[in-house]
Amino acid sequence: MFKLALKGILARKGRLLLTSLAVILGTSFLAGTFIFSDTLTKSFNDLFADVFDNTDAYVRSSVVIKGDFGQEERQRIPDSLTAEVAKVPGVKTAASSVLGFARVIGKDGKPVGKEGNGPPNFGSSITASGEAFWKISDGRLPVNDHEVALDTSTADKAGYTLGDTVKVVAQAGSRDFTLVGVARYGHASSPGGATFALFDLATAESYVGRPGFIDAVVATSDGSVSDAALANRIQAALPAASRTQTLTGAEITKENQTAIEKGLSFFTLFLTAFSLIAMGVACFVIYNVFSITAAQRQRENALLRAVGAQRAQVTRAMLLESVVVGIVGSLLGLIAGIGVSSALKGFLGALGVEFPSTSLQLLPRTIVLTIVLGTFVTVLSAILPALRTGRVSPLAAMRESAVENVGSSRKRILSGLIVAAVGAVGIIATIAGAPFFLLGLGVLLVWAAVLILGPVLALVAAKVIGTPVARAFKVTGKMAQGNASRNPKRTSRAAAPVLIGVALVTAVALLASTLKAQVREIFGKQFVGDYVVKTDDFSGFGGLSPDLADKINGLAEVDAAAGIGQKLARIDGKGGTITLVDPSTVGQVFDLHLTSGSYTDLSTSSMMVSDKTLKSDKLKLGDSLTIELTGLGSLPLKIVGTYSSDELAGKYVVNRGLYAKASGSYFDFSVFINTAPGVSGSQAVAAIKPLVDKYGNGELQSRSQYIDAQAAGVNQLLALIYGLLALSIVIAAVGIVITLLLSVYERRREIALLRAVGMTRTQVWFTVSWESVITSLLGAVLGVMLGLLTGFLLVLALKDQGITVFTIPVISTIVILVMSFIVGVLAAVIPARRATKVDIIGAIATT
Amino acid sequence: MLIQLDVMTETLTTSTAAGAVDAMKIYGTGDSEVRALDGVTVAFEAGKFTAIMGPSGSGKSTLMHCLAGLDSLTSGAVYIGNTYLAELNDKELTILRRTAVGFIFQAYNLVPTLNAYENITLPLLLGGASGDQGWIDKVIDAVGLGDRLKHRPSELSGGQQQRVAVARALASQPTIIFADEPTGNLDSRAGAEILEFMRRAVRDLGQTIVMVTHDPNAASYADRVIFLADGKVVDEMAEPTADLVLDRMKRFGD
Repeated sequence: MFKLALKGILARKGRLLLTSLAVILGTSFLAGTFIFSDTLTKSFNDLFADVFDNTDAYVRSSVVIKGDFGQEERQRIPDSLTAEVAKVPGVKTAASSVLGFARVIGKDGKPVGKEGNGPPNFGSSITASGEAFWKISDGRLPVNDHEVALDTSTADKAGYTLGDTVKVVAQAGSRDFTLVGVARYGHASSPGGATFALFDLATAESYVGRPGFIDAVVATSDGSVSDAALANRIQAALPAASRTQTLTGAEITKENQTAIEKGLSFFTLFLTAFSLIAMGVACFVIYNVFSITAAQRQRENALLRAVGAQRAQVTRAMLLESVVVGIVGSLLGLIAGIGVSSALKGFLGALGVEFPSTSLQLLPRTIVLTIVLGTFVTVLSAILPALRTGRVSPLAAMRESAVENVGSSRKRILSGLIVAAVGAVGIIATIAGAPFFLLGLGVLLVWAAVLILGPVLALVAAKVIGTPVARAFKVTGKMAQGNASRNPKRTSRAAAPVLIGVALVTAVALLASTLKAQVREIFGKQFVGDYVVKTDDFSGFGGLSPDLADKINGLAEVDAAAGIGQKLARIDGKGGTITLVDPSTVGQVFDLHLTSGSYTDLSTSSMMVSDKTLKSDKLKLGDSLTIELTGLGSLPLKIVGTYSSDELAGKYVVNRGLYAKASGSYFDFSVFINTAPGVSGSQAVAAIKPLVDKYGNGELQSRSQYIDAQAAGVNQLLALIYGLLALSIVIAAVGIVITLLLSVYERRREIALLRAVGMTRTQVWFTVSWESVITSLLGAVLGVMLGLLTGFLLVLALKDQGITVFTIPVISTIVILVMSFIVGVLAAVIPARRATKVDIIGAIATT
Repeated sequence: MLIQLDVMTETLTTSTAAGAVDAMKIYGTGDSEVRALDGVTVAFEAGKFTAIMGPSGSGKSTLMHCLAGLDSLTSGAVYIGNTYLAELNDKELTILRRTAVGFIFQAYNLVPTLNAYENITLPLLLGGASGDQGWIDKVIDAVGLGDRLKHRPSELSGGQQQRVAVARALASQPTIIFADEPTGNLDSRAGAEILEFMRRAVRDLGQTIVMVTHDPNAASYADRVIFLADGKVVDEMAEPTADLVLDRMKRFGD
C-alpha cells in the first residue's frame, strides 16, 4: 500500500505541484522572516564586534532615565574624566567620545536620512586616539570649529566631496563646515544606515552636546592586565561623585548587541504574526485541495476498497501523500523564503531603512522549523479529507461521476447559529461591562460561526451575487451561478481564505480611519495657530534646534512661535515623558484646555499635570513632584495648573527654560506659529521660509496642511500592514486558482458538451470568470462584514485609550470590494484558459 | 477540383444537408500512420434519417466528428448546407455548431446545473436568441416532457435525459443533427422510444438526422444505411431492416 501511494503521487506530478503551491506560499514567508531577522542580527552583531574591537574599557555615566517603552537617556559626564582615566596604570590611551543629534543637509537643501522611525542622525567626535571607532579613509581629521568629516555613505548620498561646504543642523543651531575627511565605521561605510557628522572634540561638545561634557571615555589597555581588571581599576580611580560605570570592551559589545536584538525582536514578532496568519490561510487552501482531489479520486479509491484494501489503508495512503506534499512544499517554501528575505530587505530599503550587509543566515533552526511546521500544517489539513476518503463505499466505484458529500445543512445551520449566539452573548456582555477577554472570545466565535455557516452562506451568496450576473450575462452568468452553488462546501472553502484576509484588512482599515479622524479632531481642537514647522522626530533624541523657535519669534510678521519638545524624565522615581513648552507663547498657538492655572504660572520651579493624572495619582494643586532630568539632577516642581486635553501633551507639562542649564540635549519636535494681525499668508511664508530653509531639517506647513499630514501619518503604518496582509490575499487567490483548476478538470466533459453545442471560447472564459468572481465576492462581502464588526469592537475596546470617534472606512471598503472583484477575474485566468482548451472529442464524443 | 466542387455545391444544396468529398483523416506518420478516413465521399439528403454503420475502427465516429466541425480533415472537404467547414475559424465553427448542427451523444448530454427546459434551449441561450417559441413548444410536446421542464438532469431517468437531449438537438431547427450511439446507454424500451421519436422528427417535422451506431436494430429506424470499413464507404442500403443490416454486418467479420 505504501508503494502504491508513492506511485500514485509520482504519477500525478501536476497535482502534487498544485497542492504544494499552497504549502510553499504558507511556509515561504515564515522562512523568509527567520532568514531575514537572523541575517539582520548577525550583521549588527558583526558590526558591534567590529566597532568595539579596539575598546578595552568604556566609561560612562551610571545615571540613566528609562521611558515607558524601554527607550533610555543616559546622562553626560564631565570631559575632565578622560585625563583621569588616562592616568590609570594599564591604560594605554583614553579618548573622549561625544554622541548626539546632528543632521547633515544635502547639496539640494534636503536633510540626509530619515527622521523619526528611521536610523538615527548622529553628530560625534573624532580624534586621533579615537580612531578605534572611526578610520579616516580619505582626507584628514577635522581639527577646528569649522571643519567636519562625514561617514562614507552620507557623503555619497549628500553628494559632497572633500573641500565642499556642508551645512549641519544640531542643538546649537545651523552652521556651515568645510568637509575635510571621509571616514569608515569599523569595516562599514555607515553603521546601520545611521548618518554621522564628525567634529573635533571641542566642536562636538559645544555644537552637538554641551561644552565640558562628553558621553563616554574610550580606553585601550597596554596589555599588562585583563580587561576586567582594568575596568575595575579605572572605576576605582574615578571619584564616586562623578557617578560613572566602567564596562569592558566585551561588555559594551554585548550590551549593544542585546539592545539591537531586543529592538529587532519586536519587528520579528510582528513579521512572525503575519506569517502565521498566512499559514492559517494556506491551511484552508490545503484542506480544500485535499477534499477536492479526494472526491475526484473516489472511484479509484472505491476500486481499491473493492479489491480488498482496508479503510485504514486508504486513509493512510492519503495521509502519506500529505506528508510528501508537506515536505516537498516546505522545502520549496524554504528556498522561496530566501527570496522573501531579500524582498523584505528591499522593502525596508525603500522605506529608507538600511542594514549593514552580511551573508545570508540560513540557520538549522529555520530549516527544521519550516519543514516541521509546514509538514505538520499540511498533514493536519489533510486529516479530515483522508478520513472521509477511508469511508468511501466500494460501490462508489460503479457510480458515474464524482460526488462530494454536501452534508446536512440543517445540522450545519443549527450548530452555526448556536456558535454565533454564544459569541454574540460574549460580545454583548463585554459591552455591558464584562472583562475584555470575553470580547476576544466572542469575536473568535462569530468568525467560527461564519466559517461553519460557509456552505449555507455560499448558496445565499450564489443567489444574491449570481442573480444580477445571470440577468446581465444570460447564459454564462447563469452557468457560473449554477457552478458556484452546485458544491457550496467547495465554494465556501475557496472563499474562506479571502474572507479571513479581507476581514483583517477591513478591521485594520476601520481602525485606521478611526485613528485618522481622531488625529484630525485632536489637532484641530488643540492647535489654534496658523503655521507649523514640523519634524517627524518625537523621540526627543533629535529634532529642531531650540534656536529656530526663538529666531521665528523675533520676526515682525509673527505674533507668537512656540517650540514644543518632549523629554524622558523620572517623575517621583518613575520613568516617563514630559512635554516642554515656552509659557510666554504656547497659549497663543496651542490649546490644552486648561482647567486651572495659566501658562504664565509656569516657571522653572513649577509644572502642570493633566486632569486624569491628577485624579489617578491622587494629587492636588500646590503639591510638589520630584522631576529628575539628565544633567539637571532632581528638582521639586510645584503643580500650578491642570489641563484636560492630554492626547498630545501627555501627563506632565514643564517650562522649556529648564533645559537651558542642563547638560543633556534638548530639541523641539515642532514650532507652532501664529502670525501677527494683518499679515497675509504669503507674507508670513515669505518671512518664515528663509529661516526654516537655513536650518534645513524642518518643514513649514499651514494649519490645514499640517492636520492633513498628521492624519496621513496613520497611512504609513497602514501601508506596512496592508503590504503584509496582501500576502494572505495572494494565498487566497491562489486557493481560488487551484480550486477552479480542479473544478475545470472535473467538469471537462460538461465543458466539452457546451463547446460542442455551441459555446464559444469567450463564453467558456466568462463562465469560469464569473464563478471565480462570485467566490471571491462571497469571501469579500462576508469578510467586510466580519471586519467591520471586529474593527468596531476593537475601537470599543480602545475607548479607554481616548478613542471617541468612530468612522466607517467607506472608500477602503469600496476599494476592497472592487479589488476582490479584480482578484476573482485574475484568479480565473489560468483555469479559464485551461477550460477553453478542453479537447471536445477526447472528453465527450468518444464512446 | 475547386471548380468541380463549386459546381457540385450548386446542384447539391437543393437536396443535400451535409456531406464529405474525398475526406482523408490520417493520424501519425510513417510506420505508425493510421488512415481513419481514406477518401470518403458521401452526401446526406435533407429530410432523411441516415445511419452510419461499420465495425470498430472503421472511421464512422471520425467521419461524424469531421462532418460536425468537432475535428478537422487532413485533406478533402466537408460541408454543412452551403458552408465549407475548412474555411471557418474556431469561433465561426462554434457558431455553426450552435445554429446549424444538433448533437445527441451516447451519454453526458446535459448540463447538470441547468433544468430540462434550459438544457433544451441551451444552443439558443448561447446565441442570445429566444428562438421560435411555437417550434420549441411543439418539440417539447413531441418528446412528452411538458411536466418535467423544471427538473434538473439528476432528477430525470436515463430515457428522459436522452429525450431532453433530442429536444435540445431540435430546438434551433438545425440544418443537420448528428447522433452518436444515442441509445447505447439505454435499455431497449427507452432506446426504442428515442429512435421512434427521432424517426418522427424526420418524417413529421422535416429534420435531417445522421446517426452513428453499431446496433442493427437502431439502424433499422433509418431511411438509409451507409457502411464504412477501413475508412472507406463500402456499401449502402435503402429502407433497411434489422435482419438485412445484421446480415451485411456479419460479412465484415469474414
